[in-house]
Amino acid sequence: MQRKLILYALLLMGIFLAAPSWAQEEVTSGSYRYKDRESSTGEYDKYEVRPGRGTPFLQWNTIPKDVIGYSQGNVNVNRPGNISFKADAHAGIANYRFKRCGDCHVEEAKNNRHVTRADIACRQCHGGEPISGINYYYSQLNPIRRHAYVCAKCHQGASASFARYLVHEPNPFVKATLTDFPKFYYSAWAMLLLVIVTLGFFLSHTGIWVIRDLFTRKPERGVDDED
Amino acid sequence: MRIRRFTPIQKTFHLLLIITFMTQAVTGMARMYESTLFGKALGAPFGGYVNCLAIHKVVGVAMLLLFVCHIIYAVILVLAGKVQSHDSLLPKLRDIKEFFGHLRWMMGGKLPRFERWAYWEKFDYWAVFWGMVLLGRTGLLLFDPVQTARYMDGSELNIALWMHRLEAGLAMGYIFLVHFSVIVLRKHSFPMDQAMWGKDADYKTVKLERPEWIERLENTGKLDGLIVKDSSPVLTTFSYLIGLGGVILGVYLVIGGLMNAHLIPW
Ligand code: HEC
Ligand code: HEC
Ligand code: HEC
Repeated sequence: MQRKLILYALLLMGIFLAAPSWAQEEVTSGSYRYKDRESSTGEYDKYEVRPGRGTPFLQWNTIPKDVIGYSQGNVNVNRPGNISFKADAHAGIANYRFKRCGDCHVEEAKNNRHVTRADIACRQCHGGEPISGINYYYSQLNPIRRHAYVCAKCHQGASASFARYLVHEPNPFVKATLTDFPKFYYSAWAMLLLVIVTLGFFLSHTGIWVIRDLFTRKPERGVDDED
Repeated sequence: MRIRRFTPIQKTFHLLLIITFMTQAVTGMARMYESTLFGKALGAPFGGYVNCLAIHKVVGVAMLLLFVCHIIYAVILVLAGKVQSHDSLLPKLRDIKEFFGHLRWMMGGKLPRFERWAYWEKFDYWAVFWGMVLLGRTGLLLFDPVQTARYMDGSELNIALWMHRLEAGLAMGYIFLVHFSVIVLRKHSFPMDQAMWGKDADYKTVKLERPEWIERLENTGKLDGLIVKDSSPVLTTFSYLIGLGGVILGVYLVIGGLMNAHLIPW
């Protein structure tokens, strides 16, 4: 009996065996190994542009976090010099070489589950230098070839329809999504409302009920019922 | 003295639903909270972030199969004429009356005389249908995004994922807070309602809460067939362990989920 108990206790503790190994990871991600999925031979670096040198001048040159805001809908073909149609989107941008994508593209680094969860590097989709605008004709992310040149590297059989998935997913609850992707906006809000109404109603209902129940008599064994 | 409210088949369905639902809750939360220690701890027994998804998919399909089995079972019961009108879980006018009567009771009125199924139990039952349809549908869409995109626009996947998350939050919130409060926290059932587990429902409590049902059984002479003896203490302890274990896990998920919500990338 005792031996069995010890055995079970040991088996139970085995669950936690994985814990120390998190700390021993050589890579930063606990979930995806570097180039886990990709079949290409591209080399990518954690420092997507170049390792920062830590120059004392950079701190005055950083781009304010809210200056660059992108959304699906703000591609304007008629805008003169629209970056999105350029071969090199970063031509002439100061200090570009010394920064990481996320330093300037704050939103894009956050609204992207491929980056935040699956540990994919920006360059695995956006490619090497020069990074062209999304709508530049030869860009690998141009919608006419995005599915084949980018998505299919990891998602075997990706179709053009699949590539219309919004990798940089807008926040469904903000006003800008209403114009860019109304269906997303409306369904998310409708569902959120349903959650709040249902939970709010039943939580208060049950809360009051539990309290009210305190003032009733619990039926005892062998005691005749009241009421 | 105890009275049987659920047949062994129904108890088995319930147990299987508990196991699959809890697995989905833990693996789903483990993925959602992957960047926090809370999520890593949840996912560790299942083999981490990547394996959690594989398990989540398999168990999700198992859940849908269970759902189909239940529908077949329910249809057979109905076709065999085993479900009299008062045993049926279909919402009726009387449920609305009882609901308002129950609200009045909370404010100090008289307790309504419930039949076999009270309105909240009917809601529990149909809520699972609702959840299965919504979570199951969006889950199937996300099962294989590449295949799904063959039949609809890829951007539908963005919607499906958010629907899946919100509906999962609703399902977990409802089960872990509302359902568990009714089962555990109410004075009449504290520390745990036994209707589903080792023993059956306590006769005195049922007589107090559902006099109409007991009277109907008495009038039709079916009462004696449903009365059972108290079960062994071992079985009772076992049922408490499983039931309350589930409750503790559920509350842990809710608290951990709320506490870590500001730390995760959505
Ligand atoms: C020094 C800041 C900076 C860094 C670092 C930077 N970018 Fe940019 N990026 C910009 C600016 C500024 C634009 C042009 C915005 C505009 O005028 O619309 C731009 C444009 C782009 C565009 C084109 C957008 C469009 O509308 O088509 C892409 C794609 C892009 N960047 C990707 C990246 C990636 C990937 C990295 C990392 C390798 C990166 N950027 C690093 C500042 C930066
Ligand atoms: C899974 C592939 C993928 C990864 C990884 C990725 N992107 Fe993108 N990115 C896209 C696609 C596809 C677009 C085209 C716009 C769209 O449809 O959302 C895009 C568009 C952009 C744009 C143009 C503005 C916009 O939102 O439309 C910028 C800037 C950008 N990405 C920056 C980044 C940065 C910075 C990273 C790394 C943190 C990154 N991307 C990682 C696929 C990716
Ligand atoms: C470098 C490899 C890579 C590339 C390129 C890539 N993906 Fe992914 N994608 C992943 C990984 C890894 C996951 C996470 C799968 C998982 O969680 O098991 C993923 C998940 C997804 C999902 C599932 C939902 C989600 O958000 O997790 C969709 C949809 C998706 N990718 C679409 C795309 C599209 C569209 C493109 C092309 C613009 C693309 N992917 C390019 C690696 C990639």
